[in-house]
Amino acid sequence: MILALARASLVRHRARTLLAIVGVAISAAMLLDMVMLATGMRVSFRSLLLAQGFQIRLAPRGTLPFDTDATIPGAASIVAQLYARPDVVAVSPVLGAQLHAERGAASVSAAALGTLARVQGDYKLLNGRPPVADGDVAANDALLTALGARIGDTIRVAAGFDPQLRGFTGQRTVRIVGRAHFIYLAAGERALALPLPSLQAMEGPSQKDRVSLIMVRLRDASNVEAARDAIDRQMPAVSAISTTTAIEQVEQRLSYFRQLAFILGTVSLGVGFLLVTTLVTVSVNERLGEIAVMRAIGLRRLRIVEQILIEGTVIMIVGAIAGLGLGLVTARYLNSILAAFPGLPEAIDFFLFQPRDAWIALGLLAGSGILAAIYPAWRGASLPIASTLREEAVA
Amino acid sequence: MFVFLHALSFILAAQAIDSVPPRHPPRTVAIDERLAQDAGLHVGDTLVLTPNPGHAGDTVVVSALMKRASDPSEVARGSYRIRVHLDELQQLVGYGERVERFAVSTRGNAGADSALHAIDAAAFGFRAYSSREIAVESSTTFLVVSRFHRAIGIITIVASAVFLLCIMLLKVDERRRDVAALRLMGISARTIVRSVVLESALIAVCGSIAGVGIGSVVSAYVNWHYRRVYRTPLTFSLVTGEIVAIAVTLSLALGVGAGWLAAQRLVRRPPLSLFGR
Repeated sequence: MILALARASLVRHRARTLLAIVGVAISAAMLLDMVMLATGMRVSFRSLLLAQGFQIRLAPRGTLPFDTDATIPGAASIVAQLYARPDVVAVSPVLGAQLHAERGAASVSAAALGTLARVQGDYKLLNGRPPVADGDVAANDALLTALGARIGDTIRVAAGFDPQLRGFTGQRTVRIVGRAHFIYLAAGERALALPLPSLQAMEGPSQKDRVSLIMVRLRDASNVEAARDAIDRQMPAVSAISTTTAIEQVEQRLSYFRQLAFILGTVSLGVGFLLVTTLVTVSVNERLGEIAVMRAIGLRRLRIVEQILIEGTVIMIVGAIAGLGLGLVTARYLNSILAAFPGLPEAIDFFLFQPRDAWIALGLLAGSGILAAIYPAWRGASLPIASTLREEAVA
Repeated sequence: MFVFLHALSFILAAQAIDSVPPRHPPRTVAIDERLAQDAGLHVGDTLVLTPNPGHAGDTVVVSALMKRASDPSEVARGSYRIRVHLDELQQLVGYGERVERFAVSTRGNAGADSALHAIDAAAFGFRAYSSREIAVESSTTFLVVSRFHRAIGIITIVASAVFLLCIMLLKVDERRRDVAALRLMGISARTIVRSVVLESALIAVCGSIAGVGIGSVVSAYVNWHYRRVYRTPLTFSLVTGEIVAIAVTLSLALGVGAGWLAAQRLVRRPPLSLFGR
């Protein structure tokens, strides 16, 4: 009976109930988006860092990987020291640079990564073979399209330009042996990979035995922080960064979004709460006589409270379920806006849906719906029966 | 022309020393106030600059502290800055006679374009950019954030519109008996609609005034908070006359629209039906 009464009360003012549900749905959509924003970036960044199984990254002391043009000196010695550690399985040194690439009339610049193909963790080979010999390169689709090239073609690449001699420096002809997807680069960024010694030689004496980054894969993934501390103490030229510390540093830089998510999420919840409170309170005020009659014929206070709580919760839950769908659509749209951040890796999502997020949003809204109905429920249940009936009859 | 290279690109390691006597009169450097604060450095302190941590370097004296510029592209970076004399930095990092960029000052804005063309035509191997182009390029991050804010703003406006409509509907519904009485007394539906619209417009204006006040306080707090977090003089939130005008206009339009819709719903029903008969 209580359910039927609650339903009748909601259906009596269809437009009002519908508007409240729409309002709650928008609030729910915003809340879901903000929960996704608060957690998605962290999860997305973590899975990106661990995609290739490297738990520790070494960058020039005081920097984050590829944050500056700084490079690590004595790379060969550092790699040897790392391999001497019993807990290290693989070490991947990487040198980053900007190269000019030419083929026919096409001339473009591209990000170049010098890696050791057998241990690299920066790209996934889609076709062909990895660049292992001097003169081999693997290029991504953006570069292949810009040059109008494909696997097997030769292109000319250069490391720089000498304005006095008016000619390219570090120039050589290379052969495209593979098509690759670069994991950490932004969408549409032109890139190629070549053997580390080749890129070091092209860059000249200034980059001899230097690398931008060293990635380390450990035997035991549970011992990362201890290994990181030991490496950091052992090698003064580098900062050892574990996945956890990298996430913390990136989160510190992007703390704005987490704070924004918290503020907007709280506001959304507050708006939904106010909407339901107002609606249910007005609805109860309109039915004071009806509630007094029900009390007079023997309905207990608890049943009145239950009915009003059900009304508030139903509005919240129906609105929240509608809002979850709306939230996924808006999250996709908002993610497409933030994906345009310069240099953001293609694989990073600011809004990442996880079932846990949906349950959190739904739980918060359901709880908020119950809270929102408490005041009107208390008001309805504590009515003095006789005087209310008299006032309503006079009215 | 006096040119500085940014030490940021080379990551010099700076170490405070107290008792190492310099062999030559030490050169001077300027450090940013954040570095001074974090490392406890003061003007007159002696440092060793080295491109490789743990290796020998040059002894220098801090001669000035720099205030950080309001540069959006650097806001989230935690890097420190040291300004070093060009020749010393070139020598320190083995850069030869190379520099990364030149800053050129022209006489007036009109001269900038012709100077750009003249420099670009003089030789190839480098390109001249105007300050505006660099500003646009380095502000890309903030343009993305601005687009994100706009999208959030649109969602907020839709939510506000629904909220406002709901409240107006409730308010008008509450007075259906009063309206029925007015209609039976001969007051026209048009007059009732006008009065409801006027009331909702007044509510919207009052809400807008309160909103501008709250917005200004929140804006001041946001600036205070993020300036402290990122240690920058950058202005993060700005309440301008234009923004206030847009917000008030939107609020008024939404209020009037919601009031009109709610009033229309009321006056379309016969007065006796509003009485519940």
